[in-house]
Amino acid sequence: MDELMEILQELRPDVDFENETALITDGVLDSFDIVALVGELNDAFDIEIKPNNLVPDNFNSAKAMMALIEQLQDE
Amino acid sequence: METSVLNRLDRTAAAYHDKVMFKDEHGEITFGAFDALTKSVGTYLAKKIPAGQPVAVMSGRHILTPSCFLGAVRAGCFYAPMDGDMPTTRLNQILSVIQSKYMLVDKAHLETAQSLDFDGEIIVFEDIMNTEADEALLEARAATLTCTSPLYVIFTSGSTGVPKGVITAHQSLMCYIDSVAKVLSIDDTDVFGNQSPLDYIAAVRDIYFPVTFGASTYIIPKNEFAVPTTLFETLNREKITALCWSVAGVELPAKLGAFDVAKPEYLKKLCFSGSVMPCKYLKIWQDNLPDVLYVNQYGPTEATASCTYYVVKEKVNDDTVLPIGKPYDNYRVTLLNEDNTPTPDGETGEICVSGPILALGYYGNHEQSDKVFMQNPLNDKYRELIYKTGDLGSFDKDGVLHFHGRKDRQIKHLGHRIELGEIEETAKKINGVTDCCSLYYKDKATLYLFYTGNATSKDIVLYFRQNMPAFMVPRKLINLEALPTLPNGKTDMQTLKGYFK
Repeated sequence: MDELMEILQELRPDVDFENETALITDGVLDSFDIVALVGELNDAFDIEIKPNNLVPDNFNSAKAMMALIEQLQDE
Repeated sequence: METSVLNRLDRTAAAYHDKVMFKDEHGEITFGAFDALTKSVGTYLAKKIPAGQPVAVMSGRHILTPSCFLGAVRAGCFYAPMDGDMPTTRLNQILSVIQSKYMLVDKAHLETAQSLDFDGEIIVFEDIMNTEADEALLEARAATLTCTSPLYVIFTSGSTGVPKGVITAHQSLMCYIDSVAKVLSIDDTDVFGNQSPLDYIAAVRDIYFPVTFGASTYIIPKNEFAVPTTLFETLNREKITALCWSVAGVELPAKLGAFDVAKPEYLKKLCFSGSVMPCKYLKIWQDNLPDVLYVNQYGPTEATASCTYYVVKEKVNDDTVLPIGKPYDNYRVTLLNEDNTPTPDGETGEICVSGPILALGYYGNHEQSDKVFMQNPLNDKYRELIYKTGDLGSFDKDGVLHFHGRKDRQIKHLGHRIELGEIEETAKKINGVTDCCSLYYKDKATLYLFYTGNATSKDIVLYFRQNMPAFMVPRKLINLEALPTLPNGKTDMQTLKGYFK
């Protein structure tokens, strides 16, 4: 989780990732943030985020992202 | 000959009265209802404002926004669209240039509007949308327009730190729309999928193809570009036939593997512009949709959106570099050397544009206007303005134009035009930034800022987020003891490029 928070903070230091739960639904993260984020997460956690994973529910909060990462690491 | 875009709206509103003109995720509006709205807004404004005035418009990404634009035009005025999601500082800069006495906003943006440095009157769209149309007044206002009257002022990055307002006339926009429509064979059966923000130059196609030809436009929710799994499903549900997107927008679904989920079944035409297309992504589109017409467009806002086009007939490879092609109808391209002599075919010169599509200059800024809109140095017999784009190009033996980058420090990032100088001017305003240099790493589409001083990268990003549009926020910040210099004292950018990774 720490590693994820570090990546998120570097990407968008202006966002409160601890508490935000509608990052996508409310448009806090835009498409270009997502493109950058997907690349960084793939590299950092050695996973491959697929188009099917790119739904708002998986990216609306840091917690949801962590769950997705763990799920992909288990596969 | 048409005098204004209102001639077009009158025609399509009558011919397609009950057809859907604009649609978004919340609703739709017919040509008839749209036309009525423009007349309500126009009547209200005409009773307040003399003709020929700018009207700032701040309205969201929805079907009513284009009726605010055209409503201002019905009043004999011109509109300056503003994106309410931009930081206050940016919006204030735009207002300080446009100096409009009236700002038209939708209810959702009223609070933002009230927080700005604006001493004029704020008009809320929802409050005036039922104004009874005064046909005689509107007719009188329409008669004040000529085809060279300004239609809109759209803002773009300026190297001095203040955005420049590019003024486009009715005839320029109409010339452009008709020329592109010819290449793309646009008619009333086309349904466009709008990607561009409505205040941005690229949206003129999505707005004026309906106004001109009776086509329809679906305004795609911004969220769908963030998580493009549903993007192609939306294109299919709305039976979208044509897309005029930024290169960044075309790249995105290909990059994120959207074709693994669905394919746009109804798509016939895809026109892209804004920056150089990386062909490894275009190849993915071509592999999946081989029968679509692909058109590469090139051109600056100052020449009304685009000036040349190239129909991609060949199958591209990862390393194909697309030409920018031939000038549209009513556009003329001349290449000039530094000393204002003509550039021979095959050699590289500055791309200069002339024709009725030239902007009327930068709003309230003669000095900047005169620098780039100037008498054609090859013509000493009569007045002929050319616009010097600052882009470099060469003609091949077939008269096809090829693009070779910029002669200055302007870049294209995520479909937006940015002066690196403006990033630096902004960074220098931050406490703890002593000196800085901004560079663009094209391969990774990343904006870098190298700086000296004790500011943290968080300080800098926060300042940018609060004061600049999102696409102008540097992604990589590198703090140095001192910026490397060349023997002449200038910053050594080549050494800095060594930090790219």
